Amino acid sequence: MRAALEALGETLLPGAKDAGLAHYIDQQLSVDPSEALLIARGVGVIPPYVNFYRAGLAALDQTSAKLHGAKFAALAPEKRSEFVEQFRQKVPEGWSGPPSPFFYFVSRADAVDVYYGTVEGFERLGIPYMPHIVPIRRW
Amino acid sequence: MANEKVDVVIVGGGASGILLAAKLGQAGKKVVILEMGPPLALDDLVSSQIWSRRLKWGGVPVVSEGKNPVAHNFQSGWGLGGAAMHQFANWPRFHPEDFRVKSQYGRGLDWPISYDDMRPYYDRIQKEVGLSGDHVAEVWRPAGDPYPMPPIRWFRQAELLAEGFRKIGMRTAPMPLAINSVSYNGRPACIYDGWCHIGCPIGALSNPIVTYLGDARHAGAEVRARSTVTRVLMNKEGTKATGVEYYDASRQRHVQPASAVVLAAWSAQNPRLLLNSATPKHAKGLANASGLVGKYMMCHFASGTWALFDEDVQNHMGTTGAQFMSYDRYPKTSHKGAFGSTFIVAGSALKTTDLGGFANARLDLYGPELHAFMKRAARGLTRVNAFGEELPNIENRVELAADKDEFGMPLGRIVHSFDEDAAGVWNANFEEGLKIAKATGAKEAWSGRGAMPTIHLMGGTIMGTTARNSVVNSYGQTHEIANLWIAGPGIFPTAGASNPTYTIFALSLRGAEQLAAKWATVV
Repeated sequence: MRAALEALGETLLPGAKDAGLAHYIDQQLSVDPSEALLIARGVGVIPPYVNFYRAGLAALDQTSAKLHGAKFAALAPEKRSEFVEQFRQKVPEGWSGPPSPFFYFVSRADAVDVYYGTVEGFERLGIPYMPHIVPIRRW
Repeated sequence: MANEKVDVVIVGGGASGILLAAKLGQAGKKVVILEMGPPLALDDLVSSQIWSRRLKWGGVPVVSEGKNPVAHNFQSGWGLGGAAMHQFANWPRFHPEDFRVKSQYGRGLDWPISYDDMRPYYDRIQKEVGLSGDHVAEVWRPAGDPYPMPPIRWFRQAELLAEGFRKIGMRTAPMPLAINSVSYNGRPACIYDGWCHIGCPIGALSNPIVTYLGDARHAGAEVRARSTVTRVLMNKEGTKATGVEYYDASRQRHVQPASAVVLAAWSAQNPRLLLNSATPKHAKGLANASGLVGKYMMCHFASGTWALFDEDVQNHMGTTGAQFMSYDRYPKTSHKGAFGSTFIVAGSALKTTDLGGFANARLDLYGPELHAFMKRAARGLTRVNAFGEELPNIENRVELAADKDEFGMPLGRIVHSFDEDAAGVWNANFEEGLKIAKATGAKEAWSGRGAMPTIHLMGGTIMGTTARNSVVNSYGQTHEIANLWIAGPGIFPTAGASNPTYTIFALSLRGAEQLAAKWATVV
């Protein structure tokens, strides 16, 4: 699951892997859903959230193999982007997980969270963070 | 386990529950609030979009279905203070026509009260809580006291966007906000860091914790967090509520006896509780002889237009809600062929992530293009947002699902679809939003059109004149059970297009005073 998650995160937002995407998801999936900070919680994914990620990443890999001959992480970068383009707005035939546009939305939001949703992320864009209460941990 | 009897048990520690606890406590009543979520405090309000998800629903799932399923979790609260902890503090008043949509237009429903009945409560709440705005510039504002504070200051994006409105002949006014523009009642002025939506810990934004919670505690109200109420209990004759059943954090069952029960657990949970509290004498659920418990759920929707400038628009500064607004499209027949009010806001402070953040302004972008967009957005992105009114439709409802939670209580299910009028207003607002954005001279302008969003949640236990056409009277007292009351946006029979929080506070004040004044007849 990790390979697919990181490959998808990198495709959606280069740098998400090094910004800690896998650690973020892993750590958030290990806590009680009422303590989770994932956007999945906010957009109504039914807990346990691991089911959503497992099903979505499995659908990603299965459909990738069907349409492009290999699991997502094994595809060349241009093929990965081509495949994202195929599923981000319309559910491809045979996709069996959560609806692919919704899965795109959540996966992309996770990548954006770890890369741009932290104090470091704001610095990357030159935005003053201006906290009242500084986050002592990123998540 | 049975607790000592109190005067009032309030289910839900959000905006209405906390205000009711304060006012009833000050009237000498012994009050207990039972809040399902955690005991949130100001130092939990970490300046971080990621951490702020703790402020949204963390309870048993609410099933959401229909053509336009309600985004329940995103709109809800979780913990002490409720959804008002992540409110944007846009506080316009409802307009006179919002109270009589049926009489005036032959559509929707009427409230059993008018704007004139509500006016004194709007006036008192704005003084107690503190509102900033410009009542003269707000040419559409119904009669009411001037705001106690001047409007918040503008930043560059507001100047740029206002020019667009001006060019197409639309009038604007500073946004009325429950945010201090100057120090007020011992609470500091806003410092415009744009972190409203993750919870304001400094007291500049009027959330329930910094407004009425102190009064409630001072008056002796007790708050029990992590307490999940599963049923309202009735006497054996079925004529009076006797208290509630709830489970604590270690899943121990308790009974809290009370002389009066107030349901203030928001528009989804209140109907669920009433339905789950059915008895042989109330077979359809409590207060539900009309069959209207759970019916007429309403949301607002919004049409967002993005305008990207090639200059520093200071979009990280300001307030999340808006810097200014226009009610020029509030008349319900503003858009040809579609019915419903529109409330337009502009100049929201923007952050990077989450539903309202830069990254979602161009959901089609990913990869290196997304990085490039984020850089341009950080400098020059602005938004105009038009909120629209949904009419009450009896098919939009909360009902009990087949699945049960760990306490054996059926889950709530919300079924919701927008009708053609709502879709018509939504589309018209995108068209007009683009006109405004192009008139600003922005480098790029586009519509933020995804699925039709569901914003706020009203209805489900509507007020009305009789037990046949409604669940409660205008004070929130159920028609059928004198000592069972309901508070919050669930009692609205129409939604207008204005944010509901100000009206929630005003209605709750009115209801609390009535309950205290009529105590002897109620209990």
